[in-house]
Amino acid sequence: MSELVQLGAPHDRPRPPRADELNLRFSEQGIHELEALKTHYPDLKSCILPGLWIAQREYGGFLDGAAIAEVAHRLNRSYAEVEGVATFYTMYNTAHKPGKHKLELCTCLSCHLCGSYRLRDYIKSKLGISHGETTEDGLFTMEEVECLDACDRAPLMQVGDQYYGPLDEAKLDALIDQLRNTEGSTVVKMADEIVQVHLRDVERHK
Amino acid sequence: MAAATQIETVTITVNDLELTVPKGELIVESVKRLGFEIPIFCYHPRMKPVGMCRMCIVEVGFKQPDGSVRKMPKPQAACTLPASEGMVVYTDTEAVHRDRKGVLEFLLVNHPLDCPICDRGGECPLQNNTLFYGPSTSRYVEIKRHLPKAYPLSKYVTLDLERCIQCGRCVRFTEEISGDSQLAFRFRGANMQPSTFGLMEFESKFSGNVIEICPVGALTSSKYRFRARPWDLQTRPAICTNCSNGCNVWMDYRVDKVVRINGRTNEAINEEWTCDRGKFGHDFYNSPDRLNVPLVRRGTALVETNWSEAYSDCIRAFTSSTNTAGLGGNANSNEDLFAWKKLFNEGFKSNELDYNWTKVAPIADPTHAKPSIASIEDAPSILVFGSSLADELPIVFLRVRKAWFKNGAKVIVAHDQATDADSFAELVLNYQPGTEATLAQALADAKAGKSVEAAAKLTGVPAEKIAAAAAHLTSSTAIITSHELLNRPGAHDALGALKGLGELRNYALNANDQGAAEIGIGTGTKRSAQILADARDGKLDALWLLGVDPFEVCEDHDLVQAALENVAFLVVQAHTKNGAFPYASVVLPMTAPAEADGTYTNADRHIQRFGAVLPAKGEAKPAWKAFSEISLRLKPGRPWFNADEVGRALGAEVAAFANHSFNQLPTEGLPLV
Ligand code: SF4
Ligand code: FES
Ligand code: FES
Repeated sequence: MSELVQLGAPHDRPRPPRADELNLRFSEQGIHELEALKTHYPDLKSCILPGLWIAQREYGGFLDGAAIAEVAHRLNRSYAEVEGVATFYTMYNTAHKPGKHKLELCTCLSCHLCGSYRLRDYIKSKLGISHGETTEDGLFTMEEVECLDACDRAPLMQVGDQYYGPLDEAKLDALIDQLRNTEGSTVVKMADEIVQVHLRDVERHK
Repeated sequence: MAAATQIETVTITVNDLELTVPKGELIVESVKRLGFEIPIFCYHPRMKPVGMCRMCIVEVGFKQPDGSVRKMPKPQAACTLPASEGMVVYTDTEAVHRDRKGVLEFLLVNHPLDCPICDRGGECPLQNNTLFYGPSTSRYVEIKRHLPKAYPLSKYVTLDLERCIQCGRCVRFTEEISGDSQLAFRFRGANMQPSTFGLMEFESKFSGNVIEICPVGALTSSKYRFRARPWDLQTRPAICTNCSNGCNVWMDYRVDKVVRINGRTNEAINEEWTCDRGKFGHDFYNSPDRLNVPLVRRGTALVETNWSEAYSDCIRAFTSSTNTAGLGGNANSNEDLFAWKKLFNEGFKSNELDYNWTKVAPIADPTHAKPSIASIEDAPSILVFGSSLADELPIVFLRVRKAWFKNGAKVIVAHDQATDADSFAELVLNYQPGTEATLAQALADAKAGKSVEAAAKLTGVPAEKIAAAAAHLTSSTAIITSHELLNRPGAHDALGALKGLGELRNYALNANDQGAAEIGIGTGTKRSAQILADARDGKLDALWLLGVDPFEVCEDHDLVQAALENVAFLVVQAHTKNGAFPYASVVLPMTAPAEADGTYTNADRHIQRFGAVLPAKGEAKPAWKAFSEISLRLKPGRPWFNADEVGRALGAEVAAFANHSFNQLPTEGLPLV
């Protein structure tokens, strides 16, 4: 809700899309996986979370309105309900489109004590991004996150499905170089891996 | 229904008073039995408890064998706490008061406290609870959360996010009651906001209800915003006349103008809900086009006149020929309709009156309207046949949904298009337009074990589906159809086939259509369309339009226009200028439903009183009064003086209405005999 609507503003909300106006983008694999997942739960409501993971993968790491609407449509739930679920969890990217790699730097107590704010400043000076921002080339997004439950490795950073820590400036440089040379997006890769752990082996798309 | 004795009960103690309640009853309900009050925000008796606001906390303990009470270490939310044996509840201890203060202080931390300009001010649960249970000051000195104000979610509902206390009532309403799930919470924590998908249009047919159940001023009515302070409004009970359900509402008015409509509880009719059509569809009362003086045609102009002259013109035209007819509207009271029929039958010697515009006439069988709307709730299975309920009878739709949601009824929907009820239907039979009768017969055949292959081909519904649907039908199945079905080919055959399959209802659609039928309007030789056709062909000497705009109810506008142009004499009796007005020979201003006492019969033959809320506009009169005055001029006698007298005369003549006159009816109305 960004625009501030003034008192007495005329009512001109766009209406939500009808089913036949949706631009469905799930790949054959995504559809296949979702169909399999549907059989895992007593009702389709329970399938929203895994459904959103598929969408996060299929839509390149970002759940925009169209992605949410597609999940809702495929699961026969209301758009609003699915949007509510998606916006509740921070691991779904609903606020803005993340870069190819998401640097999730823990700034909770242990990491904080071991210097994560110093690393935060270092990232800012190196890549020019702070919390919630993405580099202009669309490669990196930086986010400060809460305890990642690996305090023994503080200061810690999560990128995709990997933990990196304890970190210092040199390791960070190396990591960033390594990520620059990585082919795919770690954001999409993690979404895919989460989808895969939900599936039984026979259900995986070969 | 289980007999009362079979309900398992438990004994609990509330504030040192012993009380026996059904096992598992929520404590928030139990304490009401003793007259104690527990403040609440999120709990709503018609929705599942969620325990979101913590306003209802009480101290709870259990009786120990030695007679002492061991309290739980923490207070409990009374709205999610089921009663169990030996439970001891305290609603009034110091600890409870302290905790309530804490809860309220928290709720007010982010509340803008813009009460002076809030529509809810004066009738706001947040204000009331704060006054009675809250702290007198706040310790919060930081900057409050600020969010957009006055966000128009739809043309009816405006959202003021700052005021929201995140109770979830609105969200749960759309999930549990209306079923469209249009609202959900986005984000979390202090940022949590009830909103539609992407803040797009709130497209519900029942959106107005969330305005009423929101315990603060977060969801406000776009039409009522800043129009009044609640304490400046006068309010009287009223009946909604926008459809045949006859919902009970409160009509709030100020200086003789309707300001807003709120739901009024009547378990037999609308529980406490309203649909948007009813809640926001009363603008006509304040219309600048209201008629307030009688008019007669002199030359080419309609000129203002007095009632006597207008009456004389009418009498001259309607007594000089018996080739006359009348068409009735959809919100005439029983009194108006009865007086009208009486005047036509006895004064004008004509019985060509009709009120109904469907292609074929409704079947004059009162059992089609008898099974009550409330009883739908208890049906094990429900067949909605050929009706888009949410559009035609929105509140009946809510009952059907409730039967499914609360009692697990199996709902089968048969329609030629997608309908709102499909979302929770067990089976959807999507048939080819025009094959209603075939499908109904196929259901009967399948029930009787006959093959339905041929019908399946015709209707486009697979034979297995028809068989599966038929398997759900028992004698206690509620079969719901509406008069809309009467516009389809073979409607009577379809109704005939359905009749044997369960408890068939064929609900009328317009307010008091049912009353008109019971009173005997529509028993003439011609139906409305024929009357218009005669008028067009110059075969009708005079036509009386009682509260109806034929342009609105008849699709064939050319026919209507030709009829109104060619009929020799046209009486337009209406409360507002309508399409027929320019053609009138005489215009008789009449009161709108809320401006006169009257009774209305709803679709399930429930008759309700609607006492005058507003004064009549100018010289407008209730229609029955005009009829009574005309009768008096034709034949001296004792006129009727009030609606109750008309009702008693009606009761004496039509047995169903016996003892159902205006003064004899209780507030919540009565089913017809
Ligand atoms: S808008 Fe009103 S009803 Fe909805 S959550 Fe907020 S306070 Fe509750
Ligand atoms: S504080 Fe960083 S992992 Fe626990
Ligand atoms: S009323 Fe019980 S928690 Fe809200």
